[in-house]
Amino acid sequence: MTSFSLPIDTPRLLLRSFQPDDYDALCVYQPLREVQRYLEIPIRDKADVLTSLNLMRRQVSLQRPGDTLTLAIVRKHDKRLLGQVSLRWADATASQGEIRFALDPRHSGNGYASEAVRAVLDLAFDQFKIHRVSARCDGRNHRSAKLLQKLGMRLEAHYREHALFQGEWDEELHFAILDREWRRSSKVRDLPVNTPRVA
Amino acid sequence: MTVHPDYPILTERLALRPFSRGDVDAVYAYRSREDVARYLFDPPLSREECAEAVQQRIGQIAFELEGDKIVLAVDLRESGALIGEMSLIWRSAEARQAEIGWIFHPDHHRRGYAREAASALLDLAFDKAGIHRVMARCDAHNIASARLMERLGMRREAYFRQHAVVKGKWDEELIYAILASEWQRQREPALDANLRRFPPLGEAR
Repeated sequence: MTSFSLPIDTPRLLLRSFQPDDYDALCVYQPLREVQRYLEIPIRDKADVLTSLNLMRRQVSLQRPGDTLTLAIVRKHDKRLLGQVSLRWADATASQGEIRFALDPRHSGNGYASEAVRAVLDLAFDQFKIHRVSARCDGRNHRSAKLLQKLGMRLEAHYREHALFQGEWDEELHFAILDREWRRSSKVRDLPVNTPRVA
Repeated sequence: MTVHPDYPILTERLALRPFSRGDVDAVYAYRSREDVARYLFDPPLSREECAEAVQQRIGQIAFELEGDKIVLAVDLRESGALIGEMSLIWRSAEARQAEIGWIFHPDHHRRGYAREAASALLDLAFDKAGIHRVMARCDAHNIASARLMERLGMRREAYFRQHAVVKGKWDEELIYAILASEWQRQREPALDANLRRFPPLGEAR
């Protein structure tokens, strides 16, 4: 895979690798119930946050299938850590990727997550030549679902009660976008179409 | 949980029973066909491969551990002819999940046999095995299979586009599912009449 340079610069954000002094900011949002559902490891306490930080600090490039690149979402003007976004290279033959993101809820509603995910989609398709990128979210997390749909990702799956998470039935949405769908959407503005919902 | 159904499982026209060594020719008759293999992960099977598959299936008749499969031969009761196979896989013990599947000889398509056999197996999954949700998957081009899932009252939960490469081609996959409560409701006659008046969205397309 080709090299790329960090940090990634977007209008309001910098996406950079995680650093040891990000720990305190992570402690604020990673253990939250709605956040940890889609993190790589379960996070219940501060010790888990440290494990997570050490893991994320090693996720700096995509060299082989299974690798994950994780970036800290930092606000430019005050250098504040707002959240995290990652891209996993899942399958070499079919060139698949998965995006995950989490934002400190105190900073949600400002379009920061959207700006960060957009930059990572660019990276996935332009730099890493990934064919299809998917993302998952909880069926009750309307904010994330809306964000992914606004970026042009299609709802591909809506699983109902397919698993248990912390003793409760889970509901999960899968979104995906193909490389050609992403490229087109950056140049052409389609008329709104009434796409049938999956579920 | 252990589930050891009594065999054969009888429906109006069919008998579902464990495979036996004499079934190899009947299995080879459909698993060797290109039009059957098109929508399966396996290519057409040789007779030796069919013999191996049958051998493996002989023991797949009960749920004892997560991951166990129940794979049954489907016979026509009238003639005793083997026309296809049904499978039920125990995917998760904790969340009580299972996956259902079927393969039928094309000569016996379009007579409602698969639907009849699948209904019997869904009864088994929900009533005997205490399963909470049964899912099924098929290639997105396999219209007949997708239609059957909809007729069974399964909801389309997923349409994955170009999510993998199978046999050198982009794979597109549909996933359908039904919850125990949905299957139960469907078996109640009054609600069933309502379902006919207001068919699931899938059937209108």
